[in-house]
Amino acid sequence: MISNYIKSAFRNIVKNKFYSFLNILGLSVGLIAFIFLFLYINDERSYDKYHENASRIHRIESNFTIAGKDELFAIVPIPMGPALQLEYPEVESVVRIFGAGNSLFRNEEKESYEEDFYFTDSTYFQVFTHKMIMGDPDRCLVEPLSIVLTKSIAEKYFGDKDPMGKILESGSGRQFKVTGVIEDVPSNSHLRFDALISGTTLAAEAGEEEFNSMEPARFWNIGVYTYLMLNENSNMGSIHEKFPEFYDKYMRDIGDQINAGYELMSTPLTEQHFSDNLSSDQPKGNKAFILIFIAIAMFILLIAAINYMNMATARSTKRAREVGIRKVAGAYKGQLIRQFLGESLMLSYISLVIAVAFVYLLLPDFNLLAGKSVTYDIFLNPVFIIGIIIIATIIGIISGSYPAFYLSSFNPVTVVKGAVSKTGGSGILRKILVVFQFFIATAMIIGTIIVSQQLSYLRNKDLGFDMENMMILELQDSAFRAKAPMFREELLQNPDILGVTNSIGIPGRNNWIQVVRMEKDTGWIDEASIITIVDYHYFDLYDIKLKQGRFFDENMGTDAEEAVIVNETLVKTYDWEDDPIGKTIHWGFELDGSGGRKMKVIGVIEDYHFRSLHNKVQKQMMFMADFNKSDLSIRINGENLRETIDFIEEKWNDFGANRPFNYRFLEETWDEMYTAEKNLGMIFSIATMLTIFIALLGLLGLSSFIAEQRTKEIGLRKIFGASMANIIRLLYKEFAILIGIAFILAIPVAWYVLDLWLENFAFHIEIGVFAFILGGVMSLAVGMLSISFHIIKVASSNPVNAIKYE
Amino acid sequence: MIKTENLSKIFRADEVETTALDQVSFEIKPGEFVAIMGPSGCGKSTLLNILGLLDNPSGGDYYFNDKEVSTFKERQRARLRKNNIGFVFQSFNLIDELNVQENVELPLIYLGMPASQRKKRVTEVLEKMKIIHRRKHFPMQLSGGQQQRVAVARAVIANPHLILADEPTGNLDSANGEEVMNLLETLNNEGTTIIIVTHSQRDAEYAQRIIRLFDGQIITENIK
Repeated sequence: MISNYIKSAFRNIVKNKFYSFLNILGLSVGLIAFIFLFLYINDERSYDKYHENASRIHRIESNFTIAGKDELFAIVPIPMGPALQLEYPEVESVVRIFGAGNSLFRNEEKESYEEDFYFTDSTYFQVFTHKMIMGDPDRCLVEPLSIVLTKSIAEKYFGDKDPMGKILESGSGRQFKVTGVIEDVPSNSHLRFDALISGTTLAAEAGEEEFNSMEPARFWNIGVYTYLMLNENSNMGSIHEKFPEFYDKYMRDIGDQINAGYELMSTPLTEQHFSDNLSSDQPKGNKAFILIFIAIAMFILLIAAINYMNMATARSTKRAREVGIRKVAGAYKGQLIRQFLGESLMLSYISLVIAVAFVYLLLPDFNLLAGKSVTYDIFLNPVFIIGIIIIATIIGIISGSYPAFYLSSFNPVTVVKGAVSKTGGSGILRKILVVFQFFIATAMIIGTIIVSQQLSYLRNKDLGFDMENMMILELQDSAFRAKAPMFREELLQNPDILGVTNSIGIPGRNNWIQVVRMEKDTGWIDEASIITIVDYHYFDLYDIKLKQGRFFDENMGTDAEEAVIVNETLVKTYDWEDDPIGKTIHWGFELDGSGGRKMKVIGVIEDYHFRSLHNKVQKQMMFMADFNKSDLSIRINGENLRETIDFIEEKWNDFGANRPFNYRFLEETWDEMYTAEKNLGMIFSIATMLTIFIALLGLLGLSSFIAEQRTKEIGLRKIFGASMANIIRLLYKEFAILIGIAFILAIPVAWYVLDLWLENFAFHIEIGVFAFILGGVMSLAVGMLSISFHIIKVASSNPVNAIKYE
Repeated sequence: MIKTENLSKIFRADEVETTALDQVSFEIKPGEFVAIMGPSGCGKSTLLNILGLLDNPSGGDYYFNDKEVSTFKERQRARLRKNNIGFVFQSFNLIDELNVQENVELPLIYLGMPASQRKKRVTEVLEKMKIIHRRKHFPMQLSGGQQQRVAVARAVIANPHLILADEPTGNLDSANGEEVMNLLETLNNEGTTIIIVTHSQRDAEYAQRIIRLFDGQIITENIK
């Protein structure tokens, strides 16, 4: 019996080559898209789960309440972790991660900047799981100046040589001894690093007592990433519950003094990747993207399944005779259902094999595009194998079920007499399915258009400053920073260098946030603000527009110490609109309010976007200070770019920079802020193209069937005077109506989802009619194109065929 | 009205060549009622399709209203067809998705007649064919005789000069068949040229002339 099913299924597939080809192509493409999206989602969901103690690890976070406003940070004060461990027996271990910034490292000739080296506590390897290649996990981070390298960093500096015990020197002259080598951090880790340095290094430098101090003041400085590992049967809830007592003991005194509050927050390690983004956080996954991808994957497969249903029922008249004969020969309905399901399952499995082959071939491209590192091992992973077989089976059953039940319910007498309705199954159902397919396809086309409109908006929006050909040099060496003004003069000798400014903070990188005291009608108010330290040339070079007052002036001696320039948002925040000029800002004061610098506002600049367009413009103040500044912005004439860069490098070395010449263009930095959106846009347009492609295959098959089925009607119409144009119009109209209905349904859905997505951006396009019209026209155009072949063929056929049809 | 000279039609399917019509020559004058007879497969329908400008001959000349049309393109044939020829088929060939009125109206739509005139004309013809009470019915809901009357109505709606009928009574009982033949006779009396293909001697009796075909050739052509 089974072999009869298989034989019959196989012969039917071979016999209807055109339909089988369309079905297998559609299902394969659908499965390829599905498997890739599945791999992507699977990888996203696996973040940080590989740590043995993952379920017991929590990251603690801060909610500072300053002047009634909550500021959420991913980091906590430096003594927070150890103090919690001291107070609460639930805490088994504490690991803190201190950023080491962007600094230079060298071994003999090999030197390089490293951004992802971190200081950490010696408990690191007791809490987190890494594969240790060399070294003792319990001892390797105990001694000051110990460093544990990842495998690739070890190879970078030491090549084939055994790095253990060797010295890696930092730009500031510290000599780190390599005490361990671990495998590279997996890509599905929220915390990525290239090397870990013993935290005792910092303690030794600052002084043990100072470093480990639990003085109240130390709890009011933002500090470090901190992870707690709890005992087997404890949870964070009890710690949060008891935290008010902790606050009273360690923090309240100062909190009351500065009118601030503090709340401890935490996130389980395994949920880290999808948690809300806090200030100073590590890069995160986007849960909304995942949901969108799951939906897309489902839709693509569903559309492929619908193709099968549509074509199978459309062809049912041709199969009706076979059904009748089998029934007359004694087949039960159930047996026929199994037979037809067998066919759809066979097509589905054939498609799966093809899809897996393509996934195998395309895996490197997928990794590149999606920023993943899925290995070929996945093909041997039993969960993966069983998973895709289950999916293929489900798809086979879904697509086969309707045709199977429909066909098997034919009455053998009418069937054998050939009296089965000519429409080949419910025409209405088929129309609904086509509408559904085009509803999805149209919504996705509209989505692609709007996503790309938003991306181009992000690229082209006037940010209020000019970043064209702006080279950024980070001055790490404090000796070199001191020479920056001379370096600037030297660079300006070159006519292709249009200007240079030295600052702390540049557009796109303004990390300095500090509480300052602002003048208000009602008295003083303490609030955090973004601070940028500039020089006389900053505004001119960045072409930032003045709204009121004046810029800094070298002829005004007091500007260097007593003047501050603020942005419009700041003026609005403090209700200074009437007269912002002359208002006072007190910066750098001590806890008791003494000291610091009191400055008068001399100018207000128009708001410019100093952070990505995801963010609203925040309040910002800019003033001058005589300490050495780390950022050098150099505007270059775009025409002699290469020569000018060489010139700057030459001067860099002449000035004894003592560091490799390492520059970036500001445009690149800004581009990177939108990487997530670009990837989404890319994946979305690929998925859209696939969806359309599969839907088109469906239409191609369906139009072929309809052309066949309506040969008689069309022939008759021609015999009675219809021209080819009449016929084409008639058939197009019927499909156009379906696509039109799909379009109307797609409008509100696309509108709703896209509106939700655009809310991610503080600055975004308004959803316009244009995207919808274009989307509708495109889906209509591709739909019409795909049916054209068969429609033109049938419309131009000789009407005699219609008579012969009888 | 119609004149053929050495008309032939050859069908090719892979290796096999079939001669459906072989050197067929005859003439039909306006107002004639002609029956084409012969056994199955003798080429009757092929001849009728060519005469009806549904198909082109493989060789020979075909003069329609004194115009040589054997090499006309489909577009040209379609134009001649819709202005001059009405068709009636053995299996009625009504469009299942359209009701009686819409089936009959079809040729007028393609002639570009305004809707109000069409309606008037359809009513006229349906009354004449005694099927007006069924105007909203679909073909499936009608008897064979009724369907064929609708088909005749469709054939005459545009006032063609020529009606071609392929076995018009073949699927009907004798009473209904007679009724259809009477309709055709009436039309002929009003001046329409009629050519029918038939197996039935009784139907052929209505004609003024019978052309007998055998294996694609004319064997007799007699005026009664």
